[in-house]
Amino acid sequence: MSKAGTSKRAGEDINKQQKKIKNIDEVLKLVKKLAEQGRKNTTAERSLAELDLAHSVREVVDKDADAVLDEIETTMLEVAQSILAGNGYSFDIPSRAKGNQLYVPELDRIVLKDTVSKRPFASSQACRKTAITTRILGLVHELCNKQINVTKRDLFYTDVKLFEDQRESDAVLDDLSCMLGCTRSSLHVVASEKGVVVGRLTFTEDGDHIDCRRMGVGGKAIPPNISKVSNIASDALFILLVEKDAAFMRLAEDRFYNDYPSIIITAKGQPDVATRLFLRKLKLSLKIPVLALVDSDPYGLKILSVYMKGSMNMSYDSSNLTTPDIKWLGVRPSDLDRFNIPAQCRLAMTDEDLKTGRKLLEEDFIKANPAWVAELELMLKKKEKAEIQALSSFGFQYLSQVYLPLKLQEGDWI
Amino acid sequence: MSKAGKGGSDKLQQKSPAEFFAENKNIAGFDNPGKCLYTTVRELVENALDSAESISVLPLVEITIEEVSRARLNTLRGLGDHARVDEQLYHDYESEDARKKRLAKEAKEKQRLEKLAATKGEAAAAAAAADAARKAADGKKAGPARGTLFYKVTVKDNGCGMSHADIPNMLGRVLSGTKYGVKQTRGKFGLGAKMALIWSKMTTGLPFSISSALRKQDFRSQYELDIDIHKNAPNVHSAAKLPNADGWHGACLSLTIEGNWSSYRAKLLKYLRQIAVITPYAQFSFQYIAEDPKSSLKLTFRRRTDVMPPPPKITKHHPSSVDLELVKRLITETKATSLSAFLTREFDQVSKALSGRLIGELRSGGVNASTDPKQLSSQQVVRLHQLLHEVRFADPSGSHLSPAGEYNLRLGVMKELQPELIATHAGDVRVFEGHAFIVEAAVSLGGRELRPGINVYRFANRIPLLFEGGSDVITRTATKRINWGSYKINQSSDRVGVFVSIVSTKIPFKGAGKEYIGDDVEEMVSAVKAAIQQCCAQLRVRGSRWNSCLIAGSSWGNVEEMVGAVKATIQQCCAQLREMAVAVKAAIQQCCAQLRVSRSLRHHCLNAGSLWGCVEMVSAVKAAIQQCCAQLRVKIAKALALREQQQRRRNLTKYIPDAAGAIFTVLAAMAGSDPRGPKRRRLQDSSNLLQQVARKEVVQATLEKKLAEHVERIDTDMALEFQVAQGLAGGAAKQQLWLAPLCDKTHYGPELHANACVVRLLH
Repeated sequence: MSKAGTSKRAGEDINKQQKKIKNIDEVLKLVKKLAEQGRKNTTAERSLAELDLAHSVREVVDKDADAVLDEIETTMLEVAQSILAGNGYSFDIPSRAKGNQLYVPELDRIVLKDTVSKRPFASSQACRKTAITTRILGLVHELCNKQINVTKRDLFYTDVKLFEDQRESDAVLDDLSCMLGCTRSSLHVVASEKGVVVGRLTFTEDGDHIDCRRMGVGGKAIPPNISKVSNIASDALFILLVEKDAAFMRLAEDRFYNDYPSIIITAKGQPDVATRLFLRKLKLSLKIPVLALVDSDPYGLKILSVYMKGSMNMSYDSSNLTTPDIKWLGVRPSDLDRFNIPAQCRLAMTDEDLKTGRKLLEEDFIKANPAWVAELELMLKKKEKAEIQALSSFGFQYLSQVYLPLKLQEGDWI
Repeated sequence: MSKAGKGGSDKLQQKSPAEFFAENKNIAGFDNPGKCLYTTVRELVENALDSAESISVLPLVEITIEEVSRARLNTLRGLGDHARVDEQLYHDYESEDARKKRLAKEAKEKQRLEKLAATKGEAAAAAAAADAARKAADGKKAGPARGTLFYKVTVKDNGCGMSHADIPNMLGRVLSGTKYGVKQTRGKFGLGAKMALIWSKMTTGLPFSISSALRKQDFRSQYELDIDIHKNAPNVHSAAKLPNADGWHGACLSLTIEGNWSSYRAKLLKYLRQIAVITPYAQFSFQYIAEDPKSSLKLTFRRRTDVMPPPPKITKHHPSSVDLELVKRLITETKATSLSAFLTREFDQVSKALSGRLIGELRSGGVNASTDPKQLSSQQVVRLHQLLHEVRFADPSGSHLSPAGEYNLRLGVMKELQPELIATHAGDVRVFEGHAFIVEAAVSLGGRELRPGINVYRFANRIPLLFEGGSDVITRTATKRINWGSYKINQSSDRVGVFVSIVSTKIPFKGAGKEYIGDDVEEMVSAVKAAIQQCCAQLRVRGSRWNSCLIAGSSWGNVEEMVGAVKATIQQCCAQLREMAVAVKAAIQQCCAQLRVSRSLRHHCLNAGSLWGCVEMVSAVKAAIQQCCAQLRVKIAKALALREQQQRRRNLTKYIPDAAGAIFTVLAAMAGSDPRGPKRRRLQDSSNLLQQVARKEVVQATLEKKLAEHVERIDTDMALEFQVAQGLAGGAAKQQLWLAPLCDKTHYGPELHANACVVRLLH
């Protein structure tokens, strides 16, 4: 097929579909309705304590520095006493393994059961881990005392010789927050910034006034320390969650949020803790719907699942990190044909993709929504995937000027 | 197939079985000259083994393959040397085109060499030239035209031999044989050796010679014969009775065939090695005599045991396995005169009572217990056949099978492959379509001649299967259905040998060549999987090092290696322990250990005795081997424990400053600040630790010292336990200790306190 032919055909498509786009108010009618529904439906969140679970389960809460300090100091004091008594010492670390995880359907979340593993210093298998745990406990104590925040990377570099690999210090950090019963951010350790936000949003970060409409094309980096964010205000009608940096940039540059009042967020792939916390905070304080724009492949859905259900790794903290009610706007497998996305932009799914897809079909959060199941089954049947960028084949601004408005107008989210 | 019409004539032709097989050689594994040589050797060797085992004699098989050059063959055949008249007529004549091509190639090569000489000097060029010359020579050697390589294969055994009169018929007629009963046999169709003879006849035309003697027979039969393929009848060239002075019995077959040694050399040797694995009670000597003495080869696979599996017994047909034709044949052949006698006599697992119930079912067809089976109408026979398939019979017992036995399998693997670790397992009798089968497996780790990864060795009815392994049930099970990772075995880097032997009265072979077992038989898949898993489970290290250290006794092998390590450990211990009290403590523990060791040694001697002494007691042998398998598992664990023991203290001590430093920093900070929460306050009230820190009574060094002490104490305990479990059998540290009862007559010194005991010395 020649290039001229492609652009001509694509042009027809755009023309045909552009007719359908009405003025902005018409487009946003359904979104407003959804927002109102969402506001009405806010049922009181149930906590773990209210449920009568067969297992005793563990969850973590946000604690202030004093409470964390108290926990650490108690632990250390006990350790020191045990050493002076000549008994060595050991930590009781809650297991974060898959076998110790429990899905609670009532809350739609994963929590930890109560299996605890010993980490004695005098055992040659656990010794190194114990030493690292002790060291990090000491470092966190210092952080809490001084009331400062550092990144995981910072923490790792304080004693590279002992930690050897950042993954080890990161894992121990997660162990510690389980053991102390507080969230990771309460330990004053944050992940480095990854997420970006732009749109009709203002808030105060550590005393500075931030206006996300004036953040240029790159957007405002989502602050790693969410507790310093306050005074959130916005006139947006919805939050648009974007998987990819490229799509985010297009929307930001086209000032999509000016025409369609919205807040646009991306975590550039797999979401980090800060972005998930931020999204949750926005959703809770603004009470507007969250619409997701991800690739049409199993990986896109996986990313959605992390936003909605939490990751396996941080399951103990899922109550503070997840935003359960996210609508899947696009790019959905059924869109590929509906929008006539040309064959050269569709990729064949690899075996690995198909396997991931089939596994996703088994997962509770997909099964809970029949429309999602249908889409996923369609994807697996056609064995095709496409990225958000596939829409650029109709022109670079097709995404912001045609695709999204059309979707919003039709209320085409599931 | 038997009605091959020629051209337009529709004349009906009849083919003898010999002709049929001559035309379809590949059915019996005679595909190409190389494979033919291999199959010939294989068939003759298996016949030899069967023959020796049938009279319970330990097999001794001598195999000789002698290269016969064409010239020699021609003299044997009585052909004179032929001088070529028209050179251009022949294959190997170099045509004009070919010559041009060759010259061009040589010129190119020369150019390349000159260039090389110019750039890298003479030496490199000379090496390259030599290389090229070798290549050219190789090229000439490779691919001799078909029909130029001949071999004389001779296999001699010490088996039952054949009676003088039977020899022509036993060897000269296809599909005649002694192995047609319901019995586990290596061969099945009476085809193998005869196919070799047909092949020899087709390629060299030379008759084969056989000499044979029965036991206690004072003469040897000496025959020269071949097969009349058209008539499927023997054609005797000469027959003689020679004196048999040394009382030899057995058979010696010798035939000359076309073959290809170089392409099937590896397969042949592999076959011999594997048959030696599965029959360690046989001795094989193999000799390859080439025209060029440099490439001759001589190998001996020694006998390593006198324990021979019992010969398989002929059993009756299991009622679930018969087909209609078989029922009819049994009816015509039976000597029973009543139906009830027929059922009980001709079928396995049919008791008198059961036969009565069966006949009761047939009564509607007008049959009763005393009906003569030969009088049954064909409808009644069909009904009987249906009934046999509908009724649930007890499974065949499997007592008629002759598995290699765990002992033989293990010995064979150890002898031929010398693995580092091995575990074996014999499965129970299982049943597939009315045929009993037994699966035995061995899994070995390490050893020579194994590639990293899973190496599968397959045996069916105690013969190795070498070809078409990919879709075999054993290969597929070993590579696909076993989760090696869960047995701490790395599928890609460890040298794993998987040996599975299946014996049955009917092996569900797939394909014409009987070279692999179908993967679609559920029963077999699960049996194979279970057997391999059992072996793996034996190999897996279970339990913590504590348990493994404390399992007493197992001190065969590896002791020498460990004595050094143990000594070092003991010295360390002694230095660390405090003087008298500690010495006494050690001595007491030594006493206990001595007791334990001597008890376990006696235990092992008993086992070993039963192993070598009463070899015929299969159950004792099995028990002893199982004992060894259990030890093997312990050995892995012990090796790991030893390594860990050596590194342990170094590792632990390394981290003491880190841990103590971190703890003390926090303590110091705490001492300088007030409690912030209720928990610490509570804890602080009950101890004065923080005050001690503030007064500098407790410093980082205190913590470090305490931690080090703790580690050392645990270490010492472990070292002692370790030493007790590992070392004392080596005899390095045995000491007599005599303890007198306390009494008033003697005076004692003051009490010396140690961790484990209190000691008072005599004055």
